[in-house]
Amino acid sequence: MQHFRHKQPKATRREVLAGAAIFALATGLPMPASAAGEAPSPRIALLLKTVAQIVIPRSDTPGAGDVGVGAFLPLAFAHGLEGTREPGRGAVAANLLRADGSLRHDLWLDQELNRRAGRDFLALPPAQQAKIVAQLDAGAFPAGPPPAVPSPWVSIKALILTGYYTSEAGASKELQYNLIPGRWDADIPLKPGARAYSSDWTAVEFG
Amino acid sequence: MDYEFDAIVVGSGITGGWAAKELTEAGLKVLMIERGREIVHGDYPREMKAPWELPFRGRGDTQRYKRDHAVQMLNRHFTEWTEDHFVNDRENPYELGPDSAFTWFRSYQLGGKSLTWGRQCYRWSDYDFGANARDGMGTDWPIRYADIAPWYDKVERFIGVSGASEGLPSLPDGQFQPPFALNAVEKSVREKVSAQWPDRRLTIGRTANLTQGKEEEGRAPCQSRDICNRGCSFGAYFSTQSSTLPAATRTGRLTVITDAQVEKVDYDPATKRVTGVRWVNTKTRERKSATARIVFLNAGAFNSVHLMMNSASEAMPGGLANSSGVLGTHIMDHANTLSAVALMPGFEGRTSFGNRPTGVVIPRFRNLDKADGDGFTRGYSFQGGALQSGWGRGKRQAGIGADFKRDLRAPGAWRMVLVAFAESLPRASNRLTLSKQLDPMGVPQLEIHFAHGAGEMAALADAKREAGAMLTASGGQVLFGMDRPGPGGTAIHEMGGARMGHDPKTSVLNKWSQAHDVANLFVTDGAQMASSACQNPSLTYMALTARAVDHAVGLIKAGAI
Repeated sequence: MQHFRHKQPKATRREVLAGAAIFALATGLPMPASAAGEAPSPRIALLLKTVAQIVIPRSDTPGAGDVGVGAFLPLAFAHGLEGTREPGRGAVAANLLRADGSLRHDLWLDQELNRRAGRDFLALPPAQQAKIVAQLDAGAFPAGPPPAVPSPWVSIKALILTGYYTSEAGASKELQYNLIPGRWDADIPLKPGARAYSSDWTAVEFG
Repeated sequence: MDYEFDAIVVGSGITGGWAAKELTEAGLKVLMIERGREIVHGDYPREMKAPWELPFRGRGDTQRYKRDHAVQMLNRHFTEWTEDHFVNDRENPYELGPDSAFTWFRSYQLGGKSLTWGRQCYRWSDYDFGANARDGMGTDWPIRYADIAPWYDKVERFIGVSGASEGLPSLPDGQFQPPFALNAVEKSVREKVSAQWPDRRLTIGRTANLTQGKEEEGRAPCQSRDICNRGCSFGAYFSTQSSTLPAATRTGRLTVITDAQVEKVDYDPATKRVTGVRWVNTKTRERKSATARIVFLNAGAFNSVHLMMNSASEAMPGGLANSSGVLGTHIMDHANTLSAVALMPGFEGRTSFGNRPTGVVIPRFRNLDKADGDGFTRGYSFQGGALQSGWGRGKRQAGIGADFKRDLRAPGAWRMVLVAFAESLPRASNRLTLSKQLDPMGVPQLEIHFAHGAGEMAALADAKREAGAMLTASGGQVLFGMDRPGPGGTAIHEMGGARMGHDPKTSVLNKWSQAHDVANLFVTDGAQMASSACQNPSLTYMALTARAVDHAVGLIKAGAI
C-alpha cells in the first residue's frame, strides 16, 4: 500500500490505507497485497528512500525518494518484480533468504552498504553515501560480458528506475507522458534538450 | 428436422466474428457461442490508465502471475493493463507430450484473440500455396492464390488494412489504406538493403489499424498510442467488438452466448450430418444444447481440433470427421527468434512523434524462384523496426546520480531490431492428442506434441546471418542476435490439425474448409491450414472463412445441406 504515500506525503498509515481502499474502489482494481509480512522497518524504509534518491536525485524535478520509490520497493520485492523472488541468485547468508529460497533484497542492501561503509551507512554524510552506492553500482555493471550471476543491485536499481519513471512526476514531469498522441510523425528533428516519452511503450520496454 | 438455428458458430474471435457476420448478412439465423466472458466494446477498464494508477505500475504482480498465468506471463503483451485479456492457466490447463515445448497463449473472452492479436495482415502467394507440392512435405493445398484473392480483397476492405503496395511476388499487394510512414532509420535501411540486394525490400508493416476512419461503422482512425491489446475504445484496430460483431448484430439475426464451453458437436450417423452442439455454462455448470443446419468451428486452431476429438461417437470413434486419421496431426507454429539488434549511428538529430502501431517487414526472399536455402526448402521473413531507446536502458548500464538522470531524460540511441518468422513444416509427429487428465469442467485436456525441426533451425541460422549482414550494410553495429527459436507457440501462430486437402484419405477438410466426412461441418480457423508459410496467418483465416460461408450458403440455397 505504501507506494501510494507519495500522493499524501504526510498521511498516517491509517489514512494511507483508507486512501488506497478508495483508490481501489474508484479504479475497480484490487488493492495490491501488502509486502506480505515484509513491511519494512523504519530503518529499511529510510534506507530504501535514501538510496532511491541517490540513484535519481532531485533536480528541477523531484528525485526518486521524493516520489515514493522507497515505499514502492518493498512491494516490488515481495511480489517478485524484476526477478526478485527467483531463488538461488548467488551465495548469501541464510538469514537473508525467504523460505522459498529467494533473497530479501532490502536486507541484502542494508547489509551490503553497511559492509562497504565499514559502519552504519545511514550515518554517513550524503556525499559518502553516494560514493558507496556508485561503487556498488559500478561493480554490478562491469565492462565486458555481464556476470553469470548478477548482483542483486541490478534488480534493485531496475526497480528504482521503474518506480521513478512510472510515477506521475517521473513519467510526466521528468519525461513526457502522452497517452493519446493522435498522430504519427515519422521523421522530425530532435530538438536539443527534448525529453523522451515515458508513454513510448516499445522504447521503454526494449530500453 | 426443425432446427433452432440455421448456423452455429463456435468461437467469437477473428474467424468466429467473420463467420457470424457473413452468415447473418446472408440471411441466416446464427448462434455464436463463446467460452469466455462477455466484453462489451468500449468497456476496457484499464485502457486509459497511467502506470501510476496501477498497483504494480503496469508490470503486474509477478508472484500472482507465476501462480495463475505461468504460461501467459511469458507473452510480452501480457501486462498489468492486459492481463484480463488472457486466460488463467491454472483454470485452463493443458499437457505437453514427451520432449515437447509449447507455450500456448490464449484469450478466452468474447472477441477471443481479436482483442490481443498483432494485427499484421499479409497475403499468401502461390509460393506458399504451392509449397507442399513443391518439396513434398505435407499434402498439397487444394487452392491457389486466384481462389482466395477476391476474398482477401473483401476482408481487407472491411477490416481496414494500412500498408504500402510494393509489387512483390512473394507478398501480394492488397486493398490498402494509406501506410504509416517509415522513420529516418528505416527509410535509410530500406534504401541500403534494396541497393545491395535488389530482391529484398523493407516495407512498412501491413496492419489492421485504420489510417482513415470508418465513421459509418463507428470506427475512428488510429490515435498512434500502440496500446491496442488493452482494447481500443476508438475502434481503430480490427477486433470482433469493433468490426464484425456490430455488423452481425445489425442484421437482427445473431444470438450470442458467453461463458459457454462447447463440449461436443452432435453427429447423426443416419444423415451423416452434424445436428448441433452441447455446452456447459462455465459459471453455473448447467449443460445445454442447440441444433442447427450447419456448424462452423472457429474456436481457435487447437481448440477446434480438441472439440472434434472430444466429439468422437460410436459412428466416429476416432473423432468427428476423422476417417482419414490425420485429425490433430501436422500442427505448426512459426519458428520465431530475435535475429539481430544493431546500433544505428548517424541519426542522432532525428526523432519521431507518436507510437506507430506497427513495425516494418522484410518479406521472404529465400527459395522463391531458385533453391537458395542452406539446409531448408521454405522461407522466412523479418519483422521489426528502428526505435530510440527509452528510460529502460538505464536498467542495463552503470550510472547513478544527476548525470545519469540527465542522460535518461533524452531519447536514447537509435537501434534496429529484426525478428525472424521461419516457415514451420507440417510434420505428422507434431500433433495434438487427448490427455487422460481432465480440465475443471471434466473435459479431457489437450496434449501438445511439438518440436521445431532441422529445416526451421537452418532457416533461423540463415536469418541471423542475413539480418546481421543487412544491418551492417546499412551502417549498423550488430550487438546481438539469436538463431534458436523460442518454444513452440512463441509466434502465437499455432495452426493445423484439421488440414485442408484434395484427398479425404489424407486430409480432414476439402477446399471449401468443409469436412470431407460431414457436409454441414466447416472449420475455418487456423486448424484448416495445410502449411504455415511465414506470414502472419490471420488475414488468410478470415478470407477462407468468408469464402467458406459463401460456399455453405450456396449449398443451403441449393438444398444440398
